[in-house]
Amino acid sequence: MSDVRSLLLVGVGGQGVILAGTIVASACLRAGMDVKKSEVHGMAQRGGAVYSHIRYGPRVHSPLVEEGGADVLVAFEWAEGLRWLPYLRDGGVLIINTEAVVPPAACRDRRGWTPGYPEVDVARLRGRAGEVLACNARALARRLKHQKVANTILLGVLASRLDLPDAAWQEAIAATVPASTVEINLRAYQEGRRLTFPRDTAPVDGSRRPVQARPSSRDGATAFLIDVVDGWCKGCDICVRVCPEHCLRLNGRERVEVIDAAACTGCRLCEWLCPDFAIAVRGVAPVLPDTARRTE
Amino acid sequence: MSAGDRAVPPEVSLLQGNQACARGAIAAGCRFFAGYPITPSSEIAEAMAALLPRMGGVFIQMEDEIASLAAVIGASLGGMKAMTATSGPGFSLMQEHVGFACHAEIPCVIVDVMRGGPSTGLPTSPSQADVMQARWGTHGDHPAVVLAPASSQEVFDLTVGAFNLAEQLRTPVILLYDEVIAHLRERVVMPPAGGLPVQQRRRPAGSVEAYRPYAAADGKIPPLAEFGTGYRFHVTGLAHDERGFPTQDPAVIGSMQRRVQGKAERHRRLLPPAERLLMDDAEIAVFAYGIAGRAAREAVRAARAQGIKAGFFRPRALWPFPDDEVCAVAAHVRAVVVAEMNLGQMIHEVARASRGQAEVVGCLRADGEPIAPEEILAAVETASRRGAGAGTSHG
Amino acid sequence: MPADHRTASEYRRYLRQEMMPHILCPGCGHGIVLGALLRALAGRGVDPDQVAMVAGIGCSSRLVGYVDFCTLHTTHGRAPAFATGLKLARPELAVIVLTGDGDGLAIGGNHLIHAARRNIGLLCVLFNNQVYGMTGGQLAPTTPSFQRTATTPYGNLEPAFDACRLLTAAGATFVARGMTLAPVPLQDIMAQALAHKGFAFVEVLTECPEYYGRYNRLGTGAEMLLAQGRLPEAVADRLARKTFLPVREEGAGAAAGGQVRPGLAFGILHREERPELTEALRAASGGARG
Repeated sequence: MSDVRSLLLVGVGGQGVILAGTIVASACLRAGMDVKKSEVHGMAQRGGAVYSHIRYGPRVHSPLVEEGGADVLVAFEWAEGLRWLPYLRDGGVLIINTEAVVPPAACRDRRGWTPGYPEVDVARLRGRAGEVLACNARALARRLKHQKVANTILLGVLASRLDLPDAAWQEAIAATVPASTVEINLRAYQEGRRLTFPRDTAPVDGSRRPVQARPSSRDGATAFLIDVVDGWCKGCDICVRVCPEHCLRLNGRERVEVIDAAACTGCRLCEWLCPDFAIAVRGVAPVLPDTARRTE
Repeated sequence: MSAGDRAVPPEVSLLQGNQACARGAIAAGCRFFAGYPITPSSEIAEAMAALLPRMGGVFIQMEDEIASLAAVIGASLGGMKAMTATSGPGFSLMQEHVGFACHAEIPCVIVDVMRGGPSTGLPTSPSQADVMQARWGTHGDHPAVVLAPASSQEVFDLTVGAFNLAEQLRTPVILLYDEVIAHLRERVVMPPAGGLPVQQRRRPAGSVEAYRPYAAADGKIPPLAEFGTGYRFHVTGLAHDERGFPTQDPAVIGSMQRRVQGKAERHRRLLPPAERLLMDDAEIAVFAYGIAGRAAREAVRAARAQGIKAGFFRPRALWPFPDDEVCAVAAHVRAVVVAEMNLGQMIHEVARASRGQAEVVGCLRADGEPIAPEEILAAVETASRRGAGAGTSHG
Repeated sequence: MPADHRTASEYRRYLRQEMMPHILCPGCGHGIVLGALLRALAGRGVDPDQVAMVAGIGCSSRLVGYVDFCTLHTTHGRAPAFATGLKLARPELAVIVLTGDGDGLAIGGNHLIHAARRNIGLLCVLFNNQVYGMTGGQLAPTTPSFQRTATTPYGNLEPAFDACRLLTAAGATFVARGMTLAPVPLQDIMAQALAHKGFAFVEVLTECPEYYGRYNRLGTGAEMLLAQGRLPEAVADRLARKTFLPVREEGAGAAAGGQVRPGLAFGILHREERPELTEALRAASGGARG
């Protein structure tokens, strides 16, 4: 049994967990191992919990990793990582993405940045795993100008801690990802493999509270308040794209925030085209700057 | 229609089973019928189409049986007592919504007039081959309340009973009879309005905010608000919590499943009693239901005339199955003859409930013809001749 | 444009805020459609106690869990039949059916056309995202020819339904098509549909970036939404063979208030007066009693 390695890949729908699991299994086969894999992807919607059990070695009987049995836990999403932590064996390796994806379907109590969602705080993981490798894979992927390869970066990190030959990984990646993305995925894999830890994992953006822009009153006419319900925003970018005055942007957490409230003309396109009811534009009577402050 | 000081006498009519069903539904307060024509149940729809508009009720012929039961459930949620009627092929189509009504706990009555099957089978001939479909036809665990009348009078009475059970238990109730009873004309005595026990569903009395459509306090059936009365709530076929919203919490789902599945079992006292005849000293019991029960009753009398100690047991509620009663019957007889118009469905339940205390033998027929008393008598005679056979564990 | 900005967000009171955020994917257009409907209801000052929303199975149907009305989430395709029973029992309620293109036009097609034929007073909003989203992006009866889905990996060989023409032929007395990119005309269509006596059908083109968009390389939800502004061209570029949806030759879209785009009919496409079923029944029932 001891020559069988147990891996657990966990995340949420849309992160490429299943694809990553397929690559790992393929790399194991290419390295001449017996491998078994079992996966669950829940609701079809993006955001449902997804996990993949993988066990490999000279001879493997069951794909299922038991609680306390995983040699390596790869968490593509922060809260999922915490949830699955009991599956890691004593002294096991935790590879965790500090990116938080609030799964809209899975848990209402994990609404973004409300008290229910666990704070992204790597320091708290100390002592809960033999080795903690935490990084913001999405931010790293963005540096490669290709957001979708965050999963491959994490695979690179995983490869650095497993005993499979580099060639097996590269062949597996090349054979699994879409042909047009082989090159960028291989770069992402190398990037992950070379990463050194610990890394700076501070949130890119510090804002935690629902954003309320101050009313604008540029010309003494009606002013507008843009209310953003942070926990409902899924970062689809629609409001940012349709705002004629460029009042909005997505922040580092992929949530919308108001950057220029004064420019808002109250056209409400952002509100009407937000599929998640996360924006409301309110008109307020012309106000002086100091009374505006009091209304906040 | 006031009768002054004198009580209104009951109405006595010669009615087909199907007509008696419609009259019973009206007497029970049914004010909505949705259905789709199918032999041999169509007379129920025709009678309801004539009766309901006069009562301020609604009749609608839907595009198929799936839609019929859907409309019935919708109307029930709107506060009306509602019913549909069909036969085997249509009953198969309805199974999707039998499950929905069980799971969402919507009271309604479904009549299945059994004809020969499977598939299109024998549209104009009787059968009793839907008894297992009535129990297990829809997918998933669910409660089943199924009544089986054996005469026009009983069709009338049990239709009223079916509505009462549906309203009290907040669940669909299935009335199961066959083509012979559907078309047989018999004397039916119908009490005047007010002369029948008519039950209404529990409606919430508390605040709108506190209403929990699926919370059963002290094992009681949760009250059901009707749509449009200020209680805004959610009804879904997904696994749901006490408020009716989808959940994936295993603890919540498990207790909800057990509560809903167990509803009928916990309220057996509300079910109509079985008919028992000459059972006190019986050595051979005949178990039969519906139309086969009528032949069985005659067979038992004939057997007694020959000196065979035969008795008769006819459940009026097939589901939940009368386990304890059948067990008690089996404890006091040598053999139980199960007479049914199928190739063996309830006989397995009888054998299970008998727990090996008595021999269980079948008198089965599935050719579109009703079972004759002579066939059952022959089975009783055979069982009697075999003497104290296997399985007689009592002294 | 709503004039009073202080009350313009009134429609949010119809949301079950404690249930939000809803389960639909980032960039999915369904929420935009719901928003337009809720604003139309708010614009008419509708009492939420007098609204029942009935839905089938699918992404769009899940929206009924998030609105604070009496809500009935039924079985796949059957919502019009449930709604028919409910409306007959309680004609005074505004009964609104939410359905998707698979729910309403494939498995539930029969129920939909018969509800239209009866001219029962329901508003049916059909969310057309051209694909089965909830089950993972399979072929829908509205998937345009040659497009890819999870079950048409080599392209769809079947033609698509034109839901509005189908429902007009079936007897719907109010038929309209809107799109998510144009929320103001959409809200106006919804308001007129709500005011209509009889069966009102509103089809809305919406986006499934997660499956349909991904399989057909149509970009993000935002990109798909913006692409609605150049529907025929954008798709003609990709297909070079067929238009995005069947072309309606006669300029019927000009009939009322909506916007017309080359090759696609938008706006109110059909409207007629015919007795509404519950009213007809009430009248006939009075006769039967008398």
